[in-house]
Amino acid sequence: MGLLSIIRKIKRKEKEMRILMVGLDNSGKTTIVLKINGEDTSVISPTLGFNIKTMTYDKYTLNIWDVGGQKTIRSYWRNYFEQTDGLVWVVDSSDLRRLDDCKFELDNLLKEEPYQTVRFWLNTSAGFLLTQPSLFQKCSCPKQKPAHPQFNGDMDDKLDIHVIKCYKIDKRLSGASLLVFANKQDIQGALSPNEIAKVLNLDVMDKSRHWRIVGCSAYTGDGLLEGFDWLVQDIASRIYVLD
Amino acid sequence: MDNQQALPMAADNVSIDPTIDPTTQRKHAAMMERLSNLHQSRVSNKTNPKDPSFESTQSFLSAFTNSKQAIESSLAEIQQIPDSNPNQDLKPDLERISLSISDLEKLVAENSYFLPPYEVRSSLKTISDLKQTLDSVTSKVKPRKKFSFKNKPAKKPETATVLAAAATKNESEHQSSYKVTDAPGFRSKENEVLVKEFKGSEVGEYVLTDLTNCEVRLKGCLRTLFINRLQNCKIYVGPVLGSILIEEVEGCVFVMASHQIRIHHAKRSDFYLRCRSRPIIEQSDGVRFAPYRLSYDGIENDLKESNLFDDTGSWANVDDFQWLRAVQSPNWSILPENERIETVKF
Repeated sequence: MGLLSIIRKIKRKEKEMRILMVGLDNSGKTTIVLKINGEDTSVISPTLGFNIKTMTYDKYTLNIWDVGGQKTIRSYWRNYFEQTDGLVWVVDSSDLRRLDDCKFELDNLLKEEPYQTVRFWLNTSAGFLLTQPSLFQKCSCPKQKPAHPQFNGDMDDKLDIHVIKCYKIDKRLSGASLLVFANKQDIQGALSPNEIAKVLNLDVMDKSRHWRIVGCSAYTGDGLLEGFDWLVQDIASRIYVLD
Repeated sequence: MDNQQALPMAADNVSIDPTIDPTTQRKHAAMMERLSNLHQSRVSNKTNPKDPSFESTQSFLSAFTNSKQAIESSLAEIQQIPDSNPNQDLKPDLERISLSISDLEKLVAENSYFLPPYEVRSSLKTISDLKQTLDSVTSKVKPRKKFSFKNKPAKKPETATVLAAAATKNESEHQSSYKVTDAPGFRSKENEVLVKEFKGSEVGEYVLTDLTNCEVRLKGCLRTLFINRLQNCKIYVGPVLGSILIEEVEGCVFVMASHQIRIHHAKRSDFYLRCRSRPIIEQSDGVRFAPYRLSYDGIENDLKESNLFDDTGSWANVDDFQWLRAVQSPNWSILPENERIETVKF
């Protein structure tokens, strides 16, 4: 039995989906999440760090990771990529000046570039164990020291800890469905979803990724369900093939 | 650093009691032996003079810069050649450069374990830049490959160029498509008093950009406000239902009410705010905050309509995204009461 089929089985049981919300600051990510969860959206501070919301949607459980979009914390987005089933990219359709930034960050996000991974290994009689699995729960835990070509170990003699840093090509988002929310459609002068799609040049992804753009307003709630319906259906058809 | 982080968590896991049973003890002893062997081999590795690893950022950086410059200069040379001598075959040169770039990449990978993350990132960036330059030089310099099936008409390259041309055309259309539809606002003014009154609910976004020594009065409710590149301006704004985004301002005074306020790259500016959520600053310094002080006919109504009538005191709870510590950020402060302006009326 392959690893993939095992993962599929586990996921089928839980019917869980992990969704990552990203986008520039001021695009309305947190507002979208709170609105769709039926919460008060009148007092929302710019997100410092991230919020996690777990909600039931149709027959699935969505784990939505809403990550802050301020410039200083964008470099941390990569830390949230692991096991992402669906990606939601939120665009402020009324912010014409920063559309270039928006395109740059989206391209950067989807680019498969090398990233640094750090793992701690503890040498015990039972072989190598990954320490603090809660911190690195998404890492696999092989029984042997990984034979990575770029392996660089560092060892503490007393505690026998190996710190392993290596570079991997980032393919963690390569299977994820992409939903682009052209938010703030209720504001006069906002660009239409079609125009946003052109500016972001989404068409080039036709062959490599399932994607869709949906106009919405987190303020009124228009379009949010349409977007999430598509995303959840698309993920479900990929992961829960036999349903 | 990583070691230190790992120490406390590991301490719990290592606690193997040697008195428990002989098997464990034996295993433990074996492990210790294996460890010391490992350590030995590491030590001997390190002292080996042939080993090219030099664990200092300085020496890595100088080696890196040297080879980077060498690559750059040979790239520049190649770019010059085709003008003078178009028939010269440059393929081996290009391949050599490509090889030295991958050598450079290997160098970074080999040394990545001791380099600070910033150096790793910037080195990787440099390498990808070099690769891009190489690609562009290659496409410029290299003679087009001859297509081997001679009987077929060589249409492919033509359509490719046509497509590329279409793509660039599209690109330029994209560029223009969103620059034509400019949002309403005040742009590129100097030494002026700019007044605008918003009525009814048809007002969407508004933009203030490239203003110097201006006074701006925006009366009435609006949905969202973008502010960019202001110098020595006074900005008075009625309630904003959505958010305000401020970038690159210097020596300004802002009196504004909004649900969300984000301030980037601000210097020496005072903000008199009413805000439902916490205002944030990023890459700013010398910014000071005070409560909202604005009055015009009907402002109470506008504030109530926008749900901004009550002062929640949020104006003083500023988040500095570059100061994630418990102590007060040095980049912002509360404006002392004796330095605050009088309520602005218009």
